[in-house]
Amino acid sequence: MTDFPLSLLGVALWAYLAGAAGALVFQRFEKLANGFGFGMAAAGGLCGLVSCGAALASGMPVASRSIELFPALIPLVRFAIRADALGCFFGLIVSLLAVPLSVYSLGYARSYFGRRNVGVLAALFNLLLLSITLVFLADHVFFFLIAWELMALSASILVCFEHEQDESRGGAVLFFVMSHIGTAALILGFLLLFQASGSYAFTDFHALGAKLSASRRGGVFLLFLFGFGIKAGLVPLHIWLPAAHPVAPSNVSALMSGVLIKTGVYGLIRVCFDFLGAPPQWWGVAVLGLGTVSAVLGVLFALMEHDLKRLLAYHSIENIGIILIGLGAALMLLHSSHPMLASLALIAGLYHTLNHACFKALLFLGAGAVLHATHTRNMEEMGGLAKRMQWTSAFFLLGAAAISALPPLNGFVSEWFTYQSLLQGFGSTPSLIRLMFPLSGAMLALTSALAAACFVKAFGITFLAQPRSAHAREAREASLTMLLGQGLLVAVCVVLGLFPGILLKLLDPLTHQLIGERLSQRLSLAGGLVLSSGAAQGGTVSTLGIVLMLVALLAVPIVLWALFARGARTRIAPTWDCGLRGLTPHMQYTATGFSKPLRMIFKALFRPRREVQREYDLSPYFATTLRFESHVEEVFQTRVYRPLKWLVLRFSRRSRALQAGSIQAYLIYIFLTLLALLLFAL
Amino acid sequence: MSASATAPIGSQILTLMAALMLVLQLFIIAQRRLLTNIRLFAIQSLLLAGIAAVVAFHHAANHVYLVAGLTLVGKVVLLPWLLTRLVYRIQIHQEIEPLLNAPSSMLIGGGLTLLGYVVARPFTSMERLGNNTLAIALALVLTGFFLTINRRKALTQVLALLTVENGVMLAAVALTTYGMPLVVELGIFFDVLVAVMVLAILVYRIRENFASMDTSKLNQLKG
Amino acid sequence: MNPDPLAILLQTLLLLLLAPLVSGIIKNWKAKLQNRRGPRPWQVYLDLAKFLRKDMVISEHASWIFSFAPYVLFTSALLAGLMVPTLATPAPLSLFGGALALIGLLALGRFFLALGGLDPASAFGGMGSSRDMTLSAIAEPALMLAIFTVAITAGSTDLSQICRSTQSATWRLLNPAHVLAFAAMFVVLLAETGRIPVDNPATHLELTMVHEAMLLEYSGRFLALMEWGASIKQLVLMTLLANVFVPVGLAVSEAGPGALALSLLAYLAKLLALAAAVVLVETTNAKLRLFRVPDLLSAAFVLATLALLSTFLFQ
Repeated sequence: MTDFPLSLLGVALWAYLAGAAGALVFQRFEKLANGFGFGMAAAGGLCGLVSCGAALASGMPVASRSIELFPALIPLVRFAIRADALGCFFGLIVSLLAVPLSVYSLGYARSYFGRRNVGVLAALFNLLLLSITLVFLADHVFFFLIAWELMALSASILVCFEHEQDESRGGAVLFFVMSHIGTAALILGFLLLFQASGSYAFTDFHALGAKLSASRRGGVFLLFLFGFGIKAGLVPLHIWLPAAHPVAPSNVSALMSGVLIKTGVYGLIRVCFDFLGAPPQWWGVAVLGLGTVSAVLGVLFALMEHDLKRLLAYHSIENIGIILIGLGAALMLLHSSHPMLASLALIAGLYHTLNHACFKALLFLGAGAVLHATHTRNMEEMGGLAKRMQWTSAFFLLGAAAISALPPLNGFVSEWFTYQSLLQGFGSTPSLIRLMFPLSGAMLALTSALAAACFVKAFGITFLAQPRSAHAREAREASLTMLLGQGLLVAVCVVLGLFPGILLKLLDPLTHQLIGERLSQRLSLAGGLVLSSGAAQGGTVSTLGIVLMLVALLAVPIVLWALFARGARTRIAPTWDCGLRGLTPHMQYTATGFSKPLRMIFKALFRPRREVQREYDLSPYFATTLRFESHVEEVFQTRVYRPLKWLVLRFSRRSRALQAGSIQAYLIYIFLTLLALLLFAL
Repeated sequence: MSASATAPIGSQILTLMAALMLVLQLFIIAQRRLLTNIRLFAIQSLLLAGIAAVVAFHHAANHVYLVAGLTLVGKVVLLPWLLTRLVYRIQIHQEIEPLLNAPSSMLIGGGLTLLGYVVARPFTSMERLGNNTLAIALALVLTGFFLTINRRKALTQVLALLTVENGVMLAAVALTTYGMPLVVELGIFFDVLVAVMVLAILVYRIRENFASMDTSKLNQLKG
Repeated sequence: MNPDPLAILLQTLLLLLLAPLVSGIIKNWKAKLQNRRGPRPWQVYLDLAKFLRKDMVISEHASWIFSFAPYVLFTSALLAGLMVPTLATPAPLSLFGGALALIGLLALGRFFLALGGLDPASAFGGMGSSRDMTLSAIAEPALMLAIFTVAITAGSTDLSQICRSTQSATWRLLNPAHVLAFAAMFVVLLAETGRIPVDNPATHLELTMVHEAMLLEYSGRFLALMEWGASIKQLVLMTLLANVFVPVGLAVSEAGPGALALSLLAYLAKLLALAAAVVLVETTNAKLRLFRVPDLLSAAFVLATLALLSTFLFQ
């Protein structure tokens, strides 16, 4: 392997660091800090993109060499990075997002000028990019954990960037606490692995599973599933996600939903495929089941939201679920020794990981632009923005179509692979557990249909019809850099949708490293323009073909216009109002109304409560005032976390007795602990 | 036409009819109207009679024809007629209040069917005609049981009991091919008939005394 | 395997011309069954021609989405139809997608239809969009499971492959898995095409309506595209039921004109039978209350699950 791509990756890391430092240094000069900080972030992203892309495109052999960034200053910690195919792929995702997000931020941060310290924002943004990249590349347990903690720290400070709002502080604290609970599980898992390998280097963890007893392997798997599951936002560990993502500045929300939660996915893949290997069946079943549950519940909770950014945050949970459906299927197929099918499922999961990063970032940027223009996240106060923010609305529409898995965009491609792997997975084993495959396929269908419903709501209520508030009426289009950032992501989504052959080729080294198969030849026909399911006669799809045919079929209406409608005119008139004196914005369908049928159908899950107060003078049919309130419970919040919190608080109150306040008492505790440990070691 | 040539077709028809019995069972679970429920039960029994006839034809087992005939007379004509008359007498047509709503009870029915398939899987090789009739029979019994639990009215509980019995008969026909000894079958048959008659009278009495057929009100008897 | 332009053209024409006729026949038969005379079957063509010639009124609140939606709906339905074999296997655009692409394309059309309903700021449109998206979402798992069932048996998501595999073993038509999946699909057909237990296609201003509410603000040639697109979607779903589940008489692409003519006859006969079934269901049932519709669709889901279970034991 040439050193060129890797050294460029080093440049990217230094660029992030320089951006962080520079932005802090220049914090007095807002424009300079803004330009330098986000400019360096964009440059670093570009370098990372080129280096990771080049490394993957070269079909790299598994990189076994790790490079020390600094000499070991502290014993036990080696600052070593290793760019293997898995790390490179996730590095590619973060770099791919870094560029458009930084470009967008150049314009977005301008709204903070004079109000907030933009230098700190830019510095933390760079730091977050740096730490996420390092998480993907670290080759040493402690270095990984340092990067992991740095990531959590910088992200939680960014979450409470607008710190005088209670919501922001609450979200940041919840994120921080959950993140640390997860880290504790990770540390335990790594220590168990260390016991078997005797080394803290990731390279020495490879295929370690064979050396562990079955129960210990299971324990390690569960610890990592828990730890990484928290970061990924897996149901029921997801509660921090809808609290923290929406309150952060929108460029940070995009980065968090796009990449930060993917560190959990990365960790699971690293542990299950690289470290442990040869998964028993229940791992796959667990991951597939949790993925399915997350997908369905995530989208159902998203449907109940009318806060645009919270809605998007819940969709991240859904998409993590879809990714995990792919991973779980891959684990199950690996267990039944179908490496080819397992690779297909893994590709489906990874493809969706990249896709979700792109369209979710795009949607958060769009939501940011809307927030910037209307000063609210509440969809009930929006409307009519399609006429006022034409580009933003077009970009958001494309992102919405992509996330709803509509052909021919990228979401459709990855879900197509997921369905194919589930379908073929059914034939992989005679045991009964194979029913999991089609049933989670059906749930996936439910999920994407509900997602489409949700984005009809999100787009329709936000951008269409009449403006529902004065702010929305006066909204203006976002600045050029903000549009450019969104436009870049739109381009990525379109390319990933229409030319899937490119990414399949880049995924080859990855599946080769983890499973030992290269599938891009089997999966792409006609130079990657037509996708095949991999099985002979198993079905094909061509997104480019679909686009071309859709355009070609436009000939039909055109011919019809020419034949029949030549003299027909078009008139602009008010919407029909049933004979009233014109429609007001209050008569439109609301976001809450839009999701009401689903709220009723799934009322066992949502437990909606409503409160109606009306006052009337003469007849009950003519109310003078009307107050309507409707609440939906987040089941996990009320049923799991609130009792848990109560228990913890009660325990803390009890244990306060130990806090005598005298130094001697504390010394006694320490001494006793020491004695206990010594006795234990006997 | 030799028996070996018709066997796959016979087997197809058999499993199809058995599957339709199961579908009807699920319809009964979802349906709220009493009269429709009774009719659905009659069709289900008709299918059972058909299955018995096909089995009888394939194995030239004449006494199974008798089972088919008895089912036809008893469960397709007599019992539905009796129950319909009861419905008209107590003047309640669609007042079924299941404990669980239709979608969830359908899903539970689906789950119980899955359980039936799982349990019956080791036995599939024992059957000669129709691959999964035993599984379906088990599923009928299980969902029938669920139905008795899910319904409150005495009349619908009777109906549920009858579907359980249909499942048992199907298992008997499917598993042993020749059916149970005729005497046992006749015994079961008349048992059911008598039971339904007794229950019909009981339902009428409950209705008269409590002005309702809700069996959960019987706890008022404790005094 | 490459798409054949002539086949594409012919199938496009077939879909365009046949779709309104099927809608017309259903309307006519329904009227007959209810002791009315009813419109003639070809009335739908005349309606479409009239809509095309009429002037258009567009709401002042509507954005470009409103004018964009009819094109998307129409072309996506048509393209979905090109992936289903009508007279011969393989379908003209088998290469571009199979069952999954078909579901995706229908979802694409629905997505834009719903947005078009929301755009003119009318409460009716919003109500229609909300209900349509809800009902189609609940219908989706049943549809997917039913398709999975046949796809697993055939080992392919390519609809032409599925047809061929069913064709090669005609006795499979009686297979319970097959019959149950068919039944589930039929319920989905009723829901997706807005037929009576789910939606009432015959009313306009009624608070219970779904599909027609979204079209309320459309007029002139856009309305023609919308109506035509909806009837093409209905034809596509009916073709799916007729040819994928009962591929009797379906020719292969190399067949001569004689075989194709026979295939056309068989195809028409199957469509008419399905239309009759739809008419029967529409006439004998009352429209369900909105919150009772999930009962029906969950029944379809359970049917599809049973179909899957039966495949499972049957192998």
